[in-house]
Amino acid sequence: MSLSCELLHVIQRKGSDEPYGMDSYEGARARWCAGCGDHGILTAVQRLLAAEQLVPEQTVFVSGIGCSSRFPHYLKTYGFHGIHGRALPVSTGIKLHRPELSVFTVMGDGDCTSIGAAHWIHALRYNVDLTVMMLDNAIYGLTKKQTSPTTPQGTVSNTQPRGSYLPAMNPLSVSLGVTNASFVAQTAEWVPAHLYATLRAAYQHKGTSFVRILQRCPVFTPEIFASAVRDPSQIALLVHDDGVIVPEIEKIYKTQIHHDPRDLAAARHYAESDDRIHLGVFFRDPSRPRYEETRRTTPRTPTERNTRLEEEFDKYAV
Amino acid sequence: MTISAGTTSAVAPQTGAPPAHLRVREHTIEIVSDSGEGAQKCGQIFAAVSAKMGNGIWTVEIIPAEVQPPPRVPEGASGNRIRVGAGPVTNWGDQTDLVVAFNEQALLARHRVGALAPDAILLIEEMWATSQDPAIVAAWEAAMEELSTREYRIIPVPMQEQCLTLVENPRKGKNMFALGMLAYIYDRDMERIRDQIATAFRKKSEAVYDSNVSLVNLGYQWAQEHIGFRIDVPPAPIDTPLVVMNGNEAIGMGAIAAGFELCAMYPITPATSVSHYLSEVFERFGGVVHQAEDEIAAAGVAIGASYAGKVALTITSGPGLALKTEFLGLAIMTETPLVVVDVQRGGPSTGLPTKVEQSDLLAALFGQPGDAPHVIVAPATIEECFHVMITARRIAETFRAVVMVLTDANLATGVAPYPRPTLDSQWQAAPIDLAPVGDSDLPYAWEEETGLSRRIVPGQPGGMFTLTGLSHDERSKVAYSSGIHQHSSAMRSRKLAVLQSVLTPPVVYGDEEGGDLLVVGWGSTKGAIEEAVDRVRADGLKVSSLHLRFLSPLEPGIKAILQRFTKVVAVEINYSDDPDAPYITEENRRRGQMAMLLRSSTLVDVDSWTRVPGEPLRPGSIVTAIRERVLSGGAA
Amino acid sequence: MLSDPRVAVALDALAQPIAEFRAAVEGALTQASGFLDAHHASPAIRASRAAFELGEFATGRIDAGRFATLFPPLGSGDPASLAMLDRAVQTLEAVNGEASDLFVTEVTEGRKLGATIDAALARAGQAFGAIVLAELIRAGRYDAATHDRLLDPAEFRTWNRAERRFAPPLVIVLRGADLHSGALTDFADGRAKLVLVVSGPCAPAPLARCITPGTFVMQTVDGAGLDQVASFDGPAIVAMVPEGCTTFTHDPRGGAEGWQRLSIGTNAVAPKAPIDGISVWQMAEDVRLLTDLARTPFSVPARDGTGTPAIGAEDAVDRVTQWLLGQTGLQDGA
Repeated sequence: MSLSCELLHVIQRKGSDEPYGMDSYEGARARWCAGCGDHGILTAVQRLLAAEQLVPEQTVFVSGIGCSSRFPHYLKTYGFHGIHGRALPVSTGIKLHRPELSVFTVMGDGDCTSIGAAHWIHALRYNVDLTVMMLDNAIYGLTKKQTSPTTPQGTVSNTQPRGSYLPAMNPLSVSLGVTNASFVAQTAEWVPAHLYATLRAAYQHKGTSFVRILQRCPVFTPEIFASAVRDPSQIALLVHDDGVIVPEIEKIYKTQIHHDPRDLAAARHYAESDDRIHLGVFFRDPSRPRYEETRRTTPRTPTERNTRLEEEFDKYAV
Repeated sequence: MTISAGTTSAVAPQTGAPPAHLRVREHTIEIVSDSGEGAQKCGQIFAAVSAKMGNGIWTVEIIPAEVQPPPRVPEGASGNRIRVGAGPVTNWGDQTDLVVAFNEQALLARHRVGALAPDAILLIEEMWATSQDPAIVAAWEAAMEELSTREYRIIPVPMQEQCLTLVENPRKGKNMFALGMLAYIYDRDMERIRDQIATAFRKKSEAVYDSNVSLVNLGYQWAQEHIGFRIDVPPAPIDTPLVVMNGNEAIGMGAIAAGFELCAMYPITPATSVSHYLSEVFERFGGVVHQAEDEIAAAGVAIGASYAGKVALTITSGPGLALKTEFLGLAIMTETPLVVVDVQRGGPSTGLPTKVEQSDLLAALFGQPGDAPHVIVAPATIEECFHVMITARRIAETFRAVVMVLTDANLATGVAPYPRPTLDSQWQAAPIDLAPVGDSDLPYAWEEETGLSRRIVPGQPGGMFTLTGLSHDERSKVAYSSGIHQHSSAMRSRKLAVLQSVLTPPVVYGDEEGGDLLVVGWGSTKGAIEEAVDRVRADGLKVSSLHLRFLSPLEPGIKAILQRFTKVVAVEINYSDDPDAPYITEENRRRGQMAMLLRSSTLVDVDSWTRVPGEPLRPGSIVTAIRERVLSGGAA
Repeated sequence: MLSDPRVAVALDALAQPIAEFRAAVEGALTQASGFLDAHHASPAIRASRAAFELGEFATGRIDAGRFATLFPPLGSGDPASLAMLDRAVQTLEAVNGEASDLFVTEVTEGRKLGATIDAALARAGQAFGAIVLAELIRAGRYDAATHDRLLDPAEFRTWNRAERRFAPPLVIVLRGADLHSGALTDFADGRAKLVLVVSGPCAPAPLARCITPGTFVMQTVDGAGLDQVASFDGPAIVAMVPEGCTTFTHDPRGGAEGWQRLSIGTNAVAPKAPIDGISVWQMAEDVRLLTDLARTPFSVPARDGTGTPAIGAEDAVDRVTQWLLGQTGLQDGA
């Protein structure tokens, strides 16, 4: 089936080898609020798709529920906009059986780290080749300002009006604690060059690449990263040949740490350190086994299946 | 047990008298032991050999709740119950005629739940009577006292002593000794028994095989020398090739035959054994059993795979079905084909994990919040468990629908032979309608008349749309106007009416013209209900039955059928209030689930007779219920 | 030579891609012939077909005739399209029926390696054309003017990206003298998998020149390592060479640098006499190329675990290089 689809793609394009531009991936007009970080992320993704020349019909964006999960609607690729917290199992199902498709998963912070936390942890462990973007604005936006697991302690919300009770969860250290996780990175929506470079590295990584994208909600958490936006010295870039290097921002972000993404202990250290916001690839290990590879089976034709089923029946024959 | 009545009186005493040969139409046998003593293996081999010889059989497992319950307690009784018949056997029957028990506590357990016929023959390991432990001797004596209240014929057997002549650890050998005794009593073909032992222990060494065969021979000889009777259930000649398996294996094989490529699941009793079977063989067929992190994810992975154009299945039991609910709503909303098998067990909550019940019907039908039309089918036999998978897949894909298959623990663990299916490679064909989409094709191009539309799968050029669980229009654009939701709801619902339009009315078992009482059933109760109907019709009662396979949409013409009978009663294994119970009135009485469904869709005053004993219904108890309904004025 | 036991070893290692190709062809065939049947069939035949598809559970419960009318067959049933589809089905049936012949070829006397591979793959190209044709007809988009050549045998150089990704694997039996690597590099694209079964006098490292950063290249004597070929998601060229040749594996998954990707097993000596048209200098150059690629940069010390240079310590490579150069009588840097 995938064969004929791929072959047809060429006929459809009438043999044209004209490259896809960013506009080739434009879907419906984005309906996010003005000033929402999602717009910039959408642009970075379109840039990535064009740079990688991904075939639109062989690209699938899967999302859960929340502002960020409207993402697939605004792209002209295949999309599956599912239910709250459950984008990862759907993505796993797609990639497990159609490894030739490029699968992206888009989730919000509540989506991924709260209602979908079990799937998040297990998806990292399965390490299916997915590019996973967690758009973290530290608040539930679509449902109008409720505390999420990543909301900083003390933040006033509609569900915790006297300030959120618990310390915020650290999605990076959680991800880095999962056995078989193979790619963990953090970037920020207000540093577009870094955002793009990180997404590209994530896409090129074979395995589940988990990217936490720090993001401002202009309505409910406009100030959340304000000081870091104003003061680049609060940000440290993790740089390495095997991670991301973005020369054009090095003049602004002067704190650069040479960090080998194979070094898990150092990755955990940076993930947990409070002094600065660290952007870059924390951990990357392309040698980790991928579930879709481990579980790959040889396809069987109907005739073969029936021949083997007859053998099965022989075992139960009377 | 009318057929075997008189068995006991005909059994010759253990003297030198020539062995009595009893010829009966059927006999029900149990082998019970502590968990881990292999009684189930003995039962399985006995049943398989009986089926191969041409007897009808129906086997059920007797399962304790724990993996390793303490020894010699009634709750630990573990084993098999095999109903052997001269003709086809469609259910587990009423009571047991002959028991082999490895200890008296297991036997006591069966006695106490009323499993044993009043005149049953009990072959019991006698070592406990002379135990060094006075507590054990006391327990034995108390048990014998309790058992003596009935007319049972008790035959002590020195199993331990006999087995010790051959093996060091008789705990691992008694089951084969018991098999040998049964082989003598029921005159089973020893060649087939040896073959079956070879199959059953194919993963073990030759020494194991040899040792087991000698134990069987020993049991046979002992019975020959010490048991003065034989029981003959004449086998019927087999004219078609048969296979013998349980309903879960039949579902697994059906899934393979139907071309499924993924079974996503999370362990849950009694559904898991389907996955056990598939895990063993599925990869040879290019399939994958995915054990997900939870029930919810299992549904999600299956939906993802199906959305990606693969044929996917998820399998669960009641509590798991509850967890999958939101995802099922998503599959229905996005019109993603999906087959869900629910092997029902007792509920609510954790309920009776290993025991049969039919109480998921309404949850399956109405469990998803919002209007979520989908298809529900219920196979009634082990054979249908195989074939239903093919039909379920075809309907799911043709109608872009969720199809739930409701079976239960009775079918899941019951073992019976059925005609070997003739496979068709069309069943395995790739999903229909995967031709390329055109620029004008839409993800929900609902045909106004039928609600049907063609499915688009990632990879197809021109089909780049985003499916969504939000209400949407034909283009899958999120609906912001009221008319769209009305229309799309109608389109999803209409598919069920269209499916119903191609269904044919169900066939009445008994008298199509009508009569005094119609018994309506669904699922695994078919054999027991029809046997009960046969018995009361033989006594001249004008009773028929109707067994439904399609529960959503219901098969057409049911109302007309129901109206031809003076009374209608739905017989089910789920809870309903007894009309005579305190506080129960015609108005507040909670009826069985099928009764509720039929009443609402036909406006016929369908009565309800249901039981939740944690075991399959017995034909005898249905006979009693029928007589009450017909002879009494009949409770509403 | 097709009876060479190594052919079976090679086919075995390629079982997965072979099965994928066959499953694709058979799947397309089932759909296309189903479509043909649906258009040719009378309502009664359609009904009995639907009854088969629905299975026994539906017998007596679903009216198969009415079920069959729920979905009218897709696409147009015009005679010209159907006749073309009939031809496509025949092509697919022929390809499907060719069993393993489709995946094994031999460079016979007087033929060239490149032409042999091309001829073998052209057959598969025809199957691709048939699949596309069938899909176009099913979708009602067949246009005789644009699509009439789809059933012609199609040489690899005319294949598009998708076709190259689905290229069937091929086992090629040949003499060492016929092994010219230049003929192979054209086919290193998509996910093409070529396994050469070489006999007779053979250059020590004939595949050295096939090495590019994205191509899996391997020389093996006993078939060790062949299992890595099927799992590689890209083009692969492998030679099962006679005893005495160099064995090496170039696996693009190893890293960014040549020395991370390349591991040399045994390093053979270039013969002092030419083999048919292959000169001594060419053979020595192959060996030298290979050694150069495997050279570990001095700046990277050898260490344990990940990133270990593929062939161990630097001086060992140097020694081998020096020795090889000495053997061929060439000066360093020549």
